[in-house]
Amino acid sequence: MQIRNTLPQLRSYNISPRLLFAAGLVALFVAIPLGYIFFRAITGGEEVWLRLLQTRIWKLLGNTLLLAVTVTGGATLVGVTMSFLTERTDLPGRNLFRWMLAMPLAIPAYIGGIVHLTLLRPRGGFIPQLLESWFGLPIPTPSPLGFGGAAFILTLFMFPYVYLLSGAAFRSLNASLEEASRTFGRNNWQTLWEVTLPALRPGITAGALLVALDVLAEYGTVALLRYETFSSAIFVQLSGRYDRSAAAVLSGVLIVIAVIILWGELRLQGQARFTQMDSQWRPAPTLPLKKWKVPAFLLVLLVVFSSLLVPVIVLAAWSVQALLDPATLASIMRSGSQTFGNYITNSLWASALAAVIAVLLSLPVALLSVRYPNKLTQAISRFCQVGYAIPGVVIALSLVLIVNRYLPFLYATPLIVVMAYVLRHMPQAIRSSESALNQLSPSMEEASRTLGRTSIQTIFQVILPLIVPGLLAGAGLVFLTSLKELPATLLLRPAGFDTLAVRVWIWASEGFYIQAAPAALLLILASAGPLYFLLRREQIFR
Amino acid sequence: MNALELRNVTKKFASAAMPAVNDVSLTLRPGEILALVGPSGCGKTTTLRMIAGLERPDSGSLHIKGQVVASREYFTPPEQRGVGMVFQDHALFPHLTVFENVKFGLKGQPAAIARETTQGMLKLVGLENFGERYPHQLSGGERQRVALARALAPRPVLVLMDEPFSSLDADLRHEVREQVRGILKAMSATAVFVTHDQEEALFMGDRLAVFQSGRLEQVGVPEEIFHDSATRFVAEFMGDSDFLPGVVKENGIETELGLIPQKINLPIDSTVEIALRSDDVNFDQANPANALVLARFFRGAYYQYRLRLSSGKLIHAFKPHTKTIQPGTSVHAYLSAGHDLTVFQNGVSVGE
Repeated sequence: MQIRNTLPQLRSYNISPRLLFAAGLVALFVAIPLGYIFFRAITGGEEVWLRLLQTRIWKLLGNTLLLAVTVTGGATLVGVTMSFLTERTDLPGRNLFRWMLAMPLAIPAYIGGIVHLTLLRPRGGFIPQLLESWFGLPIPTPSPLGFGGAAFILTLFMFPYVYLLSGAAFRSLNASLEEASRTFGRNNWQTLWEVTLPALRPGITAGALLVALDVLAEYGTVALLRYETFSSAIFVQLSGRYDRSAAAVLSGVLIVIAVIILWGELRLQGQARFTQMDSQWRPAPTLPLKKWKVPAFLLVLLVVFSSLLVPVIVLAAWSVQALLDPATLASIMRSGSQTFGNYITNSLWASALAAVIAVLLSLPVALLSVRYPNKLTQAISRFCQVGYAIPGVVIALSLVLIVNRYLPFLYATPLIVVMAYVLRHMPQAIRSSESALNQLSPSMEEASRTLGRTSIQTIFQVILPLIVPGLLAGAGLVFLTSLKELPATLLLRPAGFDTLAVRVWIWASEGFYIQAAPAALLLILASAGPLYFLLRREQIFR
Repeated sequence: MNALELRNVTKKFASAAMPAVNDVSLTLRPGEILALVGPSGCGKTTTLRMIAGLERPDSGSLHIKGQVVASREYFTPPEQRGVGMVFQDHALFPHLTVFENVKFGLKGQPAAIARETTQGMLKLVGLENFGERYPHQLSGGERQRVALARALAPRPVLVLMDEPFSSLDADLRHEVREQVRGILKAMSATAVFVTHDQEEALFMGDRLAVFQSGRLEQVGVPEEIFHDSATRFVAEFMGDSDFLPGVVKENGIETELGLIPQKINLPIDSTVEIALRSDDVNFDQANPANALVLARFFRGAYYQYRLRLSSGKLIHAFKPHTKTIQPGTSVHAYLSAGHDLTVFQNGVSVGE
């Protein structure tokens, strides 16, 4: 494989003003909601701040950080262990496990939470009932509610981020690095601890920080399992008590935490590349597990079982049950004026439109930051990625406030939902576009210029055709995450605009799990398609 | 009219303390191949990129066929300069076939003529049956020739080549460069060629321009560069020279290896350096010994010996491989050039 060993040459002629203007507009689009929330938080009023500082903020801060740290730690532990076992050992069935460990990304954590909750609920849960009928008396089981349950569920459905990033890092590590360590007298285990894991640290940390950001933004799971964090508190303020000042203040605090984490993640992005493959790359040999083979296999099976098989099997069983029962089926197919087909089309077109817009907006930003790398263009690119750090509830709050005041014609239209998706998920499109452009040698453009094409013609005739796969990947990611999005959709959707995610949530929160199952299963299947396509691009699935 | 002229061209990158190209002036006649040669970071590639229009000079001016293409006031973008460029990584468009790659620069010509020209170019580089393939299906040497065909197809006024052979294996490189020189000459193309390999520069260039630290050290035909280096750097870079200190005397230059009877226009007692190549030095085992054999290198047809003179100065000498002399032997070294040697004072050549 051929890798460019020279950095892209810095262009010395001036940045195209058209491109700078376009990228600036995108940055402005991102800046307005964020800036507005800060503005509202700061001008929220002294008494709101004082009241919240005395009553809510410290408790919420403690809850949120405790959950974020626990889940990040748990997901890192599970993710790295899984990637080590599937990438570097002779674990039986590792080719299949590799896929099964990544697939939970298609399952929204709150859907996983719903399934596990019904199975484990203290009273009336499937497993406690089963145990009681076996033993004739109630057996205490761990409750899935509260901190423990939230940490368990979120770890279970977020570890794939760490798994994928650390798996790619394991894969790209050159065998010679470990061989060198062996020649200096380290055995396999010493090499793992002293050389391999430290070398993978940037990749692992990047995955861990993504998990942390996701935990901060998570609404569905914590609300379902009744554990209060900033996100769920803001949601309550917004939907229930309608105290927008308090919501803005809480949002301001939450964004500060998230931006700090995002800043760390952005700094790591560059470093994570130091494990890149070069032409001398050879895969490291696998370690024989020997007597650990069975325990390791059972461990991986347990993870796959609880994060993928249990939710899918339970939802499938419920779906069959729902489809066989005419009354349930009727209530699924039609509720009010909405039919099941509406939920599907709403989900699909809103997510697809968000994906297209996000990719289009990402192009000028990525072109600018990759082809004219300097402080200003890097700053624009990073600024446009700030959506990662803004939880869905906060984006919803900010759009509600802005649209109500300045763009009332947008209020209560599906477009505002699409706008929230774009704002929140554009960073993924920007990263995909940037990495696609980074793989394109600048000499490709220069060749086109010396062969008589202007810079605009070069973009359309050379650059775009070559980065289409990267753009599609970005669009796929945005589509996938928008499909699963819950809190912003709940808060912003006009009456009657139900997506699959919203419908699952409403049915489940009313206790109609059987009714929710077909929609949940469909949501997972719809996410699995783009996810499969995205995973095929990853090194470890080639 | 000159095909290309650079007048006092200077280019400094914002991130660097020193100019990448410093006050360089050059001319190129039609049909000539000019090799820009120097160590990495010497400014040769930046010079080439300024000619292509991929960089803009800070000062000075560039003229192609007498037309100014870059100066303080004017800047012609690369697509309007009519130059063809062969890139170091070839930069073939992976989404286009070989045929489409070569045709890419023929935009605006009638389709039939463009097809014919493309087919003709592919034939010239010996790839007429490869048109339907994609770049990734080609070997390194084939890619190299497609890149050349693509650059030549629009009949550019100037062909620019940036280390075009550096991605090829050593044996293939020799074969391809001979083909490329043949093709360029067959088309009477005017070309500027960048390389860090002095041997390649001597082979490819009708003339050579030797760069160091952004400055042009010497321009000349290969023989001139090799045998009559203008500076100590050129002698060292182009021909692995050793430098023997000497003092100017009335009837020649006094050195550790005896008096060199070579007239020189410098005051008596000036200190100079004489460039010595391995074929200028010989030794035998006669007395008195003035050098010690430090090492012997097998070079195929001959041995190269490294000698340490009594002063500690190291010089090198060739000898036939029919007789071997062991390292550690004390020997008597002497000059056997049979021609005038190049003499430098303060790094600059001083002729007679």
